[in-house]
Amino acid sequence: MPASPTVTARIAAPPDVVFPYFTDPALIITWMGDRADLDPQPGGVFAVDVGASPARGTYLAVEPPTRVVFTWGLPGSETMPAGSTTVEVILTADGDETIVSLTHHNLPDEHRPGHKKGWDTFLGALPAAVTHH
Amino acid sequence: MPEPESPASASAPDAVLKALADPHRRQILRLVQYHELAAGQIAARFPLTQQAISQHIAVLKQAGLLTERRDGTRRLYALRHEALDPVRSLLAEFWPDRLARLKDAVERAHDPEETR
Repeated sequence: MPASPTVTARIAAPPDVVFPYFTDPALIITWMGDRADLDPQPGGVFAVDVGASPARGTYLAVEPPTRVVFTWGLPGSETMPAGSTTVEVILTADGDETIVSLTHHNLPDEHRPGHKKGWDTFLGALPAAVTHH
Repeated sequence: MPEPESPASASAPDAVLKALADPHRRQILRLVQYHELAAGQIAARFPLTQQAISQHIAVLKQAGLLTERRDGTRRLYALRHEALDPVRSLLAEFWPDRLARLKDAVERAHDPEETR
């Protein structure tokens, strides 16, 4: 059983319209975060402030309009430092629409509740996930 | 949906999230995740007053994140792992929620009818 959860969404726009929403600071903040500093090339900075929680990483792959991969973590966290997990996004054209498939790799394994090993990572990961306040 | 079974989950995940939104409190939880510690033992690991540590412990206890056991005059604290469950659920909702917002944002900006 894969430990990395994959989430999908169908969007009524072609991939070349959707793709910049992962690479353009002005567009990414329309759906994630309040402030973004993005340098969309391999090794370039990925920095998005989600509420009070800064998500920090680097782009690993930028392949418009079908695939973007970036690392994700929290600066200063011992357990989930900047860049310690990986988010992979695949955009697939379906007619005039796009299927967005997002997988967050290296998150704590949620299929083993009570497994102690996941706890430290989870505590570090949490602030990035708290966006509703 | 099953009814909450404990006071901790009744107010969760908000109380748990608030309790976790502090680096000292997260560090306390790391210290007691494998074994019990007395308040004094916890305080000895921090450059904080005993009073400040007591307040942090009170917040964690109220959120259901700590169990407390008396041993003579000492009070021993340990992590209550199951208090995390509702927060795990919230984390599981993070990306679905974000992608729903992405969909809204793109579809608001991109109206196929206008380009035809």
